[in-house]
Amino acid sequence: MSDEIRTTQPETASANGHDGVREIEQEFVRGHLLQAYGCFSSGHKFCREVCPVYQVTRNEQHTPTAFHANVVAMEKGAARLEDVAENYSYCTLCGGCELRCPNTLFVGDFYRNRTRTVKLVQDMRAAANKAGLGLWPQWQRWVEATMVGKNEPVLDYQNIQPVDPNRVADWAKDLPFEIPKGGENILFVDCEAAYYRTSLPKAVAKILHAAGVPFGLMYEQWCCGGPSLEMGYPDHARYLAEHNVADWKKAGAKRVFVLDPHDYISFVDMYPQFFPPEELPEFVFMIDFVAQLLDEGKIRFVKPIEKTVTYHDPCRMNKRLGKWEAPRKILRAIPGLTFIDVDHVTQWAYCSGAGGGFAVEHPDLAKKIADLRISRAKELNVEALVSACPWSERPLTSSGREQQLEVLDLLEMVAEAMGLND
Amino acid sequence: MATLTVPNPVTDKVITALEQAIGKEKVRTDLGARIARTRVPAPFPVHRFADYMPDVVVLPESAEEVSAILRIANQFRVPVVPRAGGTGLADGAVPLHKGILLDIKKMNKILELDLVNRTVTVQPGLNMLKLNEYLAPYGVFYPDDPASYPVSIIGGRIGTSGWSLIGSRYGHTRDLVISLQVVLPTGEIVRLSDGGGAPKVRKASTGYNLKQLFIGTQGTLGVVTEATLELFPKPEAELAAFFGYESFEDAYRSTGALSTSGLGTLAAVILFDERKVDYLRRDDEAYIPLPERIKAVVATALYGVEEEVRAAANRLFRIAKETGGEYLGDELSAGDWASRHDRYATPLHGRLPDGTVVPMSWHCEDAAIIYSELPAIKQKWHEITDRYIQKYGIFDNWGMFFYSNNPYKGWGDYLVEIDIGIWEQALNEETWQAWVNLKREITQATLEHQGSISACHGACREGDAEFIPVELREGGFELMKKIKRLLDPNNILNPSKNYLHLAYIDEEVGV
Repeated sequence: MSDEIRTTQPETASANGHDGVREIEQEFVRGHLLQAYGCFSSGHKFCREVCPVYQVTRNEQHTPTAFHANVVAMEKGAARLEDVAENYSYCTLCGGCELRCPNTLFVGDFYRNRTRTVKLVQDMRAAANKAGLGLWPQWQRWVEATMVGKNEPVLDYQNIQPVDPNRVADWAKDLPFEIPKGGENILFVDCEAAYYRTSLPKAVAKILHAAGVPFGLMYEQWCCGGPSLEMGYPDHARYLAEHNVADWKKAGAKRVFVLDPHDYISFVDMYPQFFPPEELPEFVFMIDFVAQLLDEGKIRFVKPIEKTVTYHDPCRMNKRLGKWEAPRKILRAIPGLTFIDVDHVTQWAYCSGAGGGFAVEHPDLAKKIADLRISRAKELNVEALVSACPWSERPLTSSGREQQLEVLDLLEMVAEAMGLND
Repeated sequence: MATLTVPNPVTDKVITALEQAIGKEKVRTDLGARIARTRVPAPFPVHRFADYMPDVVVLPESAEEVSAILRIANQFRVPVVPRAGGTGLADGAVPLHKGILLDIKKMNKILELDLVNRTVTVQPGLNMLKLNEYLAPYGVFYPDDPASYPVSIIGGRIGTSGWSLIGSRYGHTRDLVISLQVVLPTGEIVRLSDGGGAPKVRKASTGYNLKQLFIGTQGTLGVVTEATLELFPKPEAELAAFFGYESFEDAYRSTGALSTSGLGTLAAVILFDERKVDYLRRDDEAYIPLPERIKAVVATALYGVEEEVRAAANRLFRIAKETGGEYLGDELSAGDWASRHDRYATPLHGRLPDGTVVPMSWHCEDAAIIYSELPAIKQKWHEITDRYIQKYGIFDNWGMFFYSNNPYKGWGDYLVEIDIGIWEQALNEETWQAWVNLKREITQATLEHQGSISACHGACREGDAEFIPVELREGGFELMKKIKRLLDPNNILNPSKNYLHLAYIDEEVGV
């Protein structure tokens, strides 16, 4: 890509006529047919009870098996894209099904195969939007508002009003130290954290500062683009991504610290599809980095946190990227803390409901998923549920309030245990 | 009496009546809802996909709603096909005549846990793994453990009279159900137990033992809406031991000796034939390191309190050794047993005769065959399967398993499984008919050797169903037809399954 930042934004409403729909449908079918048969011909549905959406709807059409069967039905002319597309909004893109899929578990090592249901769902959403089916008005408004605010409209879920892009770094205003713009190390602050859970980026900045790691902010940080991709707008995702990559280039960034799992997976999964490796900096997930700083003795926990807690594995880390060890290591290192672990495999079936745009299009079901996650934590008789994902923390906090369970952020706890809040 | 060889279609009037009875949101006519409930994992004539798509899906949440649906179906004479997990291997839940698909998955509540009397009462849409997660803190468990344990649900287990991997210790589904609430085809809601009407009594001789009549009906006689189930103490010790043999004959004899050992903790004896071991060596990394001299495998499992299992293990290993078995090690034994649900359910991919890997659907034959006939059945089934592979090139032979099939004991008859891959993507009407003929030949061999067509999946499919009247020729099928007609006068409940369309044709022609 060039240094120049693209200025024309893609349109959300598609100009495709009805003739285009069949073409879009067949392209989608061709792209997913082999995997679809892999699932359809097996049909064992081991993914089903793991699926957070199915757990609250108990509706077989909201399952990965159904998502794949539809592809076969379309191939056989028994269904059209517009007959089945709507079902693909019933997914948080958590990836639990892919792990629980016997095709992944038993065929994976032999044939380097992994069932890619997340990709299937994302591609169907994109196909439906490209075909102009107009199925998901909330997502369309969300992405349009993101285009205006350059960040997600996280401050107003009800009316989906754009945020002010000039306030993306306001969270840093009352820190006792200045954070420069640019530099080799960049801290990328996710939309939800930058505008809503501002205590998180503050905590991360304090940790980096205390560890003596120099870092700066982007000149102009835009949304990572992941949610646009997840809602079926890949061109918008790319538009946002191109800006960020150009901004990093301008800053001379070699390393980007990432405090949110959703950003992280955008950077390590989506960006490499858009840009050659040499265009991209190294991406460091803050939880991993904190665990490394602890190992190296560069940070110390000096202040006990006297609490009994359990941990919520963020879906994108645990299920999509297989990262679950570092947060447990950190929790076990915090003095005073009693940590009751639920192993990461059991947590393939857990989710907050916040991912994949699900809470924007299906807020009532998303709340049920969050309620279920909190009730599982409650059964352990803990005082708090710790997460490492700001997107999960908002719905979990809300459900936790109803069920009297505190919800904490792991990086904020790290800052607390380092005595940085005194 | 009305006959119903060609069921009525689902009209807008039917839809409206359903919506008024149970609410619009539980009645779905969209294609996504119907596609998702068209097939089960058994091989499927995918080239005729639309033939089996139900017209409407209903998602009831109570016995009363199920009753209302069945009354409407009777009023309009339209078929109703109950669907539980949709993980059956014999098409019980496939809507042969389309109609109303009754999905019970929303009925998944746990209604009562009685730790004093060791029962749990549940709705039928609950999955066993989820039930056991709930039961775990109380030190009890519900031991129904099929290969589909992480996903199948209790209603389907009852509907098919399922088989459990640890059934030789704890019994199978029919042994674990204490009482049932059933909605009859005409809409009446009844409570049935082992004779009598006491919901938590396991053994009674008051009245007929009606409970068993409603287990394994494939949804042709009623819809289960509640079940009271047996609870066992959670086993303190679980030991899996796999043994290798230099010939199938040795392994077969050893299976007999292990099965008749009289060990009360013996939960399973599973014999793998040479073709199964070859297949696993070819396509399953866990088995690649097995030495070439191992031609057959016997898997065993012991469950119980620690002292029992420890003592039984000594005896078990001695018998295996004396009958030519070589212990395959802790890693393979424990690992393979731990992955039993996935492994035995998931061949998933197969090979064409030239070695090309393709996604394949899985046929899992499940005849019940007495011990003496196992070697002969093995030879015949392989001969049949190989002949079709050679001729059509879209099937694959994944070998055979022989599982101890009886509750509380290892001996007697065996669940005999030949696993056959079918390359569905390449199916057309000719190759589909070839597949059905292959099935028929296998079934005929079963009957020639005094076996029963199905141990646990049901004999609902083409290639099986037409042989039910043959297997039950000494009056059994005539009685089945009478019962079906009595309970389902309009033939609305899962019509034509178990070849029971004959129940109505007979009436018509006065046979």
